[in-house]
Amino acid sequence: MKMIRAFIRPEKEQEVVLALEGAGYPSLTKMPVFGRGKQKGLQVGPVHYDELPKTLIMMVVEDEDVERVIDIIQNKARTGFIGDGKIFISSVERAFTIRTGEEVL
Amino acid sequence: MKEIIAIIRRDKTPETKRALEELGFPSMTLQGVEGRGKQRGDTCTDELDSDLPKSYCTAVKLKPTPSTYALEHTLPKVAIFVPKRMITMIVPDEMVDPIVNRIMEVNRTGRHGDGKIFVCPIEKAIRIRTGEEDERAIS
Repeated sequence: MKMIRAFIRPEKEQEVVLALEGAGYPSLTKMPVFGRGKQKGLQVGPVHYDELPKTLIMMVVEDEDVERVIDIIQNKARTGFIGDGKIFISSVERAFTIRTGEEVL
Repeated sequence: MKEIIAIIRRDKTPETKRALEELGFPSMTLQGVEGRGKQRGDTCTDELDSDLPKSYCTAVKLKPTPSTYALEHTLPKVAIFVPKRMITMIVPDEMVDPIVNRIMEVNRTGRHGDGKIFVCPIEKAIRIRTGEEDERAIS
């Protein structure tokens, strides 16, 4: 199992969620976060924004689904401009469902 | 070391905290998140989540948008997310099982939306104040 953490534009969130749901991945957790990237924020004229609002989408999927989920998120979240976000993949060893106590995703 | 990520009901947070304190693991990070699972958030557990308004199921439905994707695929044009608490804690390897079992015991109601627990590997931990590493940093 892998955990996918995608930092995307807040305005793209619904589009990504709908696409993931359509592809059969309805389970996810989202949270609003603030951050910056390589460009150290955003410079608009004299105003400098250091921390920009993003949405963090967190989901755990089986190994073989990772590439597909990444593709979906990339296609839907891409605008081609700076600040589209990042996707990180990390490993998950075990997953439990609290309701049943089963060790399955 | 392992990282335990538990996504639980908001109402169960105090109970879970107390249970973990009894086990001797009071250190944790709490975060308010929104999410959904296989049931797509359609659980309507008003009586289990007291802080949700009675009309919650309709209150959180996002406004239908003319998303071309949704039209093409004739998806229901709603995305429901349920507010949850996410607990993150780093624990030694041998304590993973007792902690996971305790969290499951405390949080189990038998209804959809009880939550999930994930266990991830952690390579290194450092206590900033002293610079101690790994096991000593989290004890």
